[in-house]
Amino acid sequence: MSILSKLLKKKHSRKKNDNYRQKQDPASPAELLIQREYQDNLARMKRELGNSTDLVVREIKIGQNQGALVFIDGLVDAKTISEFVVETMMDKNIPNENFDIFQYALNKTIALGSVKTITNWNELYDLLLSGCTIIFLNGYNKAICGETKGFEKRSIDEPSQQLSIRGPKDSFTETLRVNTALIRRRIKSPNLWIDSMKIGRVAQTDVAIMYIKGIADDKIVQEVKTRLNRIDIDAVIDSGYIEQLIEDETFTSFPTTYHTERPDVVSSQLLEGRIAIVSDGSPYVLTVPAIFVQFFQAPDDYYSRFDLSTSIRFLRIIAFFISLIGPSLYIAATTYHQEMIPTTLVIAIAAQRENVPFPAFFEALIMEITFEILREAGLRLPRAVGQAVSIVGALVIGQAAVQASIVSPLMVIVVSITAIANFSTPVFAMAISTRLLRFALMIMAAFIGLFGIMVGLMLMSIHLCSLRSFGVPYMSPLAPFNGEDQQDVFIRYPLWALKNRPKYISKGNRIRIGENQKPEPPNQSSADKPGSGKGNQE
Amino acid sequence: MIKRHAVFWLYFAMIPLLGGCWDQKELTDLAFVTAMGIDKGTGGAAYNISYQVVIPANVASGTMAGGGGGQGPTIVVYNSSGNTLTEATREMKKQIPRRLYFAHTGIIVIDEDVARKGIMRLLDPLDRDVQFRTTTLVTVAKDYKAIDLISTLANLDKIPMNKIIKTLEVAESVLGESIQVTVDDIMLNITNPGKEAVASVYTMKGNPKKGISQDNIKYTRPPAVLKADGIAVFKEGKLVGYLEGESARGAVWLFNKMKETYINFGIKGENNAVSIIPFKSKVKTAITVKNGQPVANINIMSIFRLSEINTKYNINDPGQIEKLEKKAAAQIKKEVVSSIRTAQKYKSDIFGFGEQMYRSNPQQWKNFKTDWNSMFAVMDFHVNVNAYYRESGLKGNPFWNDTEK
Repeated sequence: MSILSKLLKKKHSRKKNDNYRQKQDPASPAELLIQREYQDNLARMKRELGNSTDLVVREIKIGQNQGALVFIDGLVDAKTISEFVVETMMDKNIPNENFDIFQYALNKTIALGSVKTITNWNELYDLLLSGCTIIFLNGYNKAICGETKGFEKRSIDEPSQQLSIRGPKDSFTETLRVNTALIRRRIKSPNLWIDSMKIGRVAQTDVAIMYIKGIADDKIVQEVKTRLNRIDIDAVIDSGYIEQLIEDETFTSFPTTYHTERPDVVSSQLLEGRIAIVSDGSPYVLTVPAIFVQFFQAPDDYYSRFDLSTSIRFLRIIAFFISLIGPSLYIAATTYHQEMIPTTLVIAIAAQRENVPFPAFFEALIMEITFEILREAGLRLPRAVGQAVSIVGALVIGQAAVQASIVSPLMVIVVSITAIANFSTPVFAMAISTRLLRFALMIMAAFIGLFGIMVGLMLMSIHLCSLRSFGVPYMSPLAPFNGEDQQDVFIRYPLWALKNRPKYISKGNRIRIGENQKPEPPNQSSADKPGSGKGNQE
Repeated sequence: MIKRHAVFWLYFAMIPLLGGCWDQKELTDLAFVTAMGIDKGTGGAAYNISYQVVIPANVASGTMAGGGGGQGPTIVVYNSSGNTLTEATREMKKQIPRRLYFAHTGIIVIDEDVARKGIMRLLDPLDRDVQFRTTTLVTVAKDYKAIDLISTLANLDKIPMNKIIKTLEVAESVLGESIQVTVDDIMLNITNPGKEAVASVYTMKGNPKKGISQDNIKYTRPPAVLKADGIAVFKEGKLVGYLEGESARGAVWLFNKMKETYINFGIKGENNAVSIIPFKSKVKTAITVKNGQPVANINIMSIFRLSEINTKYNINDPGQIEKLEKKAAAQIKKEVVSSIRTAQKYKSDIFGFGEQMYRSNPQQWKNFKTDWNSMFAVMDFHVNVNAYYRESGLKGNPFWNDTEK
């Protein structure tokens, strides 16, 4: 493990050196300025953009002045440009006097919501490439930039991964602004702050940090910003890149950041004092700090009543353990601890295994790997062949495998229940982590039985307790134990009893709900029959 | 530094290998011993041990894929002689292709002759063995050899051991004439100066030669059927006699293990006209010393329901009910007295009166401790039974009341 990290470090540092070599010398400030001659500017732009074919240059005349309109095709809304920029500029009524045509154009002709003046090429490229329209006017060493963004984007769909029975049905899209708007629409507070930055030396991806001032811990906000600023990479294609570059511990199978495609989940986490990292181009929003128990909290838990949510959460925890130790328990019990199985069952299992030539461990390994292959294949299947594979899969894990004496029927049951249980974990990142650890535990069980499983689970617990997510202990509020925060761990308290925000995460305003929020029937005896309210007074 | 870390992790990763598949045993390498029989040895050896080993493939239902469906018998019985249990067991391995596995042994059947000679030398190996459970039941084979009993195939349970265990269970809880005794119980009672050991008794109805064939389970009336039959009384580790029928029931009352049984008695001059089922009972025993002699005071409280009443009788009349209750109590008392008398005849305090005395009066106990059993044989006792009628079943007064004839 340590060697690996060392190697990675070496590689990393070499890359850094390469980057330094590639990095161009910073241009002198004079070179970055926009020239007075608009033709010079156009030429420079064409040269620097390599005559890219999606660069549209339209020369216009505004009053007496020559000028040009530049935008990137596909990133802008063509209709907006033609109606609110071109049409107004070509207005014949522009006075002919000798006055500051630039100010006139800026103030009077461009009918856009957001316009600004720019003088710097770097800024110009940033805006141009994110969908703005740039207007050069001859004789001015500055340009007008109009906000004309209007690229094609996916509409808001239902979530595809994190489904819920009850609750909102919208999910994030690939567009940063849409995503932040989805969150802001839920939290209409001026305290919901958004910080933006661009990450990716080449791609310049917009990344927004969202948090609620006064609820989120400022130290953690600062830490998130520091970590994001540290990122030096060519591009951030998905929020997964950010996750891997800011997480506390790489060598763990447990996720130390939370990601979701549900705006409602992000909103509620913001209200718990967490910080959301929205990355343009990714429909998954990261939230930090993430703690272990959070991965067993599904959005449904809070939308349905507390007794149901609590029991379903218990079910989820049981399913977590089944998916973690199901096959290893089978291995341990059938190869080491036959005395633990009821007599009738042990004889039935023995009968099933009579014709299976492999030891229980290999039997389990074969089935588990087969299932993992099927699952992975199923994930990437073109829809047209899906059915064929599911039929074949059913044959492989099922009657045929049993009849071929490769596995015993009980093994099929164990693999199936393990697989199904695995899907009940609400967050995929945690589910996949259990999948991985399952194999380690199977090996431990094969070597030293239940003892091995216990050792494995202990090592896992030690490891879990050593993890931190942005300074917050991963196992909190279980270890370190915090009685106050238990209200949302195993038992989801009634909503009116969920009084405080998590202690380790939020700072400052920690009261979530007011006093006396417990719903009660109307106080009838005192309202309807004054004088007979003796019972109520007590 | 990096080297040291690497070495550490390498060693760490190898820790699981150190076990080297410690104690690993695949199911298919095991011979599950479900019952064990102990008979007198042949050719000078002290014991002849027989093991009932399950054939898993034959137990599983016919539709089971892979197993091929069971055609042969579900068990095979191996036996071997030796002077100790260990010797006989190890000798037996010449015949068995798999490792014997004792964790699922449900019952030990001890032959009557062996039991009469003493079971003391059988207990330590059972207690000491890692796999063997001390919760295994112990039973005495009466009139038949132990190997005959454990070789007999049974109908309702594919594994004959299960039939023996379940029959004992039912006989204890529904009939109250049998009792489940484990190796642990026997060890406890043998080492207890104020109590003697008991065991359940098994015998066979029919022909043991036919029981070992699979034909036995093809008949609707199997030629060989095992049946629980009372309680064996031990004294100082040696079988001294049996309690049967009434006296066995009385003993179960005294063990305070009575759950359900039946009691017949006559009323209005008609024999066995009434059958009742006591279903809740409580027994309290107190030992006092009177004139230097121990006296047992036994209080029994029992609640019963009516099962049959075959004569005209008004069961709604409290006076009549009281009559029923008195009769029931008298019958219970008769059983208990008969049980104590039989145990006194064997001079074996299976009820633990001595232990009771030790608990309530340890000082006095010291005087009786040395020769308790002979003291027990002549001790006085008082039995007081209170029976209460609580349920009449689905009917009130019997139909006899409406007959005009």
